[in-house]
Amino acid sequence: MAASGGRTVGSFLWKCGNCCFNFNTVSSNLTRQVLSRQLCVSAVLHRKNLAAAGPEKFSEEFIKKQVEEFNIGKRHLANMMGEDPETFTQGDINRSIAYLFPSGLFDKKAKPLMKHPDEVFPKQRAVQWGADGRPFHFLFYTGKQSYYSLMHVSTGSLVGSRWLLKEELEELLVETISEHDYARFIQLMERLLSLPYCSVEEDFVQRYRRQLEIQSSKQQVQPLQYDQHGVAYSTGDGRRKTATGTVLLRDSGSGSISINGTNYVHYFPVLQDREQLMFPLHFMGVLGRFDMQCSVSGGGHSSQAGALRLAISRAMLSFLSEGQVETMRQAGLLTPDPRIKERKKPGQEGARRKFTWKKR
Amino acid sequence: MAASLTGLLKPWTPRVLLVRWSRYNPYYLEPGPRKEVYHIPETELTPEQKEERELKSVRPIKAATNSVTSSVFNDPVLSKFVNMMMKDGDKIIAKGIITQTLENMKRKQVEKYHKAPEGKKAEIECNPYAIFHQALENCKPVIGLTSIQKGGKFYQVPIPLTDNRRRFLAMKWMITECRDNKHRRTLMYEKLSQELLAAFSKEGNVVKRKHELHKMAESNRAYAHYRWW
Repeated sequence: MAASGGRTVGSFLWKCGNCCFNFNTVSSNLTRQVLSRQLCVSAVLHRKNLAAAGPEKFSEEFIKKQVEEFNIGKRHLANMMGEDPETFTQGDINRSIAYLFPSGLFDKKAKPLMKHPDEVFPKQRAVQWGADGRPFHFLFYTGKQSYYSLMHVSTGSLVGSRWLLKEELEELLVETISEHDYARFIQLMERLLSLPYCSVEEDFVQRYRRQLEIQSSKQQVQPLQYDQHGVAYSTGDGRRKTATGTVLLRDSGSGSISINGTNYVHYFPVLQDREQLMFPLHFMGVLGRFDMQCSVSGGGHSSQAGALRLAISRAMLSFLSEGQVETMRQAGLLTPDPRIKERKKPGQEGARRKFTWKKR
Repeated sequence: MAASLTGLLKPWTPRVLLVRWSRYNPYYLEPGPRKEVYHIPETELTPEQKEERELKSVRPIKAATNSVTSSVFNDPVLSKFVNMMMKDGDKIIAKGIITQTLENMKRKQVEKYHKAPEGKKAEIECNPYAIFHQALENCKPVIGLTSIQKGGKFYQVPIPLTDNRRRFLAMKWMITECRDNKHRRTLMYEKLSQELLAAFSKEGNVVKRKHELHKMAESNRAYAHYRWW
């Protein structure tokens, strides 16, 4: 067959170590004599999937130009044949070319053809790496990045849920299971999630997961109280290390703060402590709105400031909406700080400091 | 049961006391005190940000520390520098020194600005925070050395450094330089402002030390294969 003939000639040419398209660069006389007749062997014969052969051999502008030329040529052809250029189909093109360029060859692929460039030039992939040589896709070095990323389609979001606890699983199965059994169950479920095409079994997996509750719903927000003049107020208290503080927040609009009867500037001469008092107000953007009467005792100046910060944040909750409560929580304003002084251990001088090591 | 979940939310002490442990259960997440992050509307979030938000909404969050606020003047790098300069827990003195340093730098730069001809005025940086950050960047080493034992001898092997380590080294060199190599009568903030301005224009002892480290690493390039990680 002509096709196999082309392949053998092609393989012979490859053996000579030359690509048929750039025989200009051939240096040895022998190979030049061999290639005196240009043999156009289609690359499609050598490889099945040219698209995966490598980065683009034809640039985008080249393909675009080819498409333009094809369209213009189609219209010229229609004019030549005396037909309407708008309704000139591919079948019409084939017939016109067969009429204008009659070919005595038997091989269909050897006859002259005029097809859309998308059908002539093989589909190719754009360059897979950037200017610094780093590939874009994280699976590039597997060699088949699209295939492996398809294989590893992940399930829906597992963020907001947790596995069943042992007790809940026992309830579901109406059987007692041991710790070892439960650990094995979790291990296998995690393994299932790590396999490819795990999204197929999503329903099965979700049956054994429970939604985690939204943390902000656990905040207890006191309702707003109104005093005799109609001004809204609320109280809050907070603790940090050994300091405790309470605060009375009034929605009057002057922004004055008094702590244990004295002005906050005199009570906290250090800037950092005053900043801590301002933190919740500044975060919500209500700096000048509230009047505060605070009382605090115990601890040092830093822990007193921290206790008051927590108290202010808690008192402010009554004035805020749900979304704002959540943002306050995520900023770390509503968690009581659990850090305390670490205890001294026997056999050591302090919590961490050991006694001086003596060799003898 | 629910007990094991609430157990994750209490202040805890681990059963086996590790060297680095904290009173927060590892279940807690770090807080994010900056205001701007929370004002981005839902539609403009990337998928990673959405996932992060979802995760944060179901997990408990740690409390923000004492030195952190949502104000624009709060700078994490500067806070780290203050903590490194602090001695015996006296943050007030350390913060005071830094404030005086920044003021001093600003004064010097403004003086230079007023004395400079019209064309050069735009090039003089007057913002002390910008000068501090740039000076620190200029002092950060790119490559470090570590001692590796091979065949009974210890070799100085060049290794890559993490970002945190580089920042730590830059700050440490700056502070030791200002403590050691100064005249008895010059105050700390004076010497520190001089050093920072010199580092900003890539002169001074700290930048020299960084270059010496780079040269040592370059000369010990032959031992680089001793590193196995």
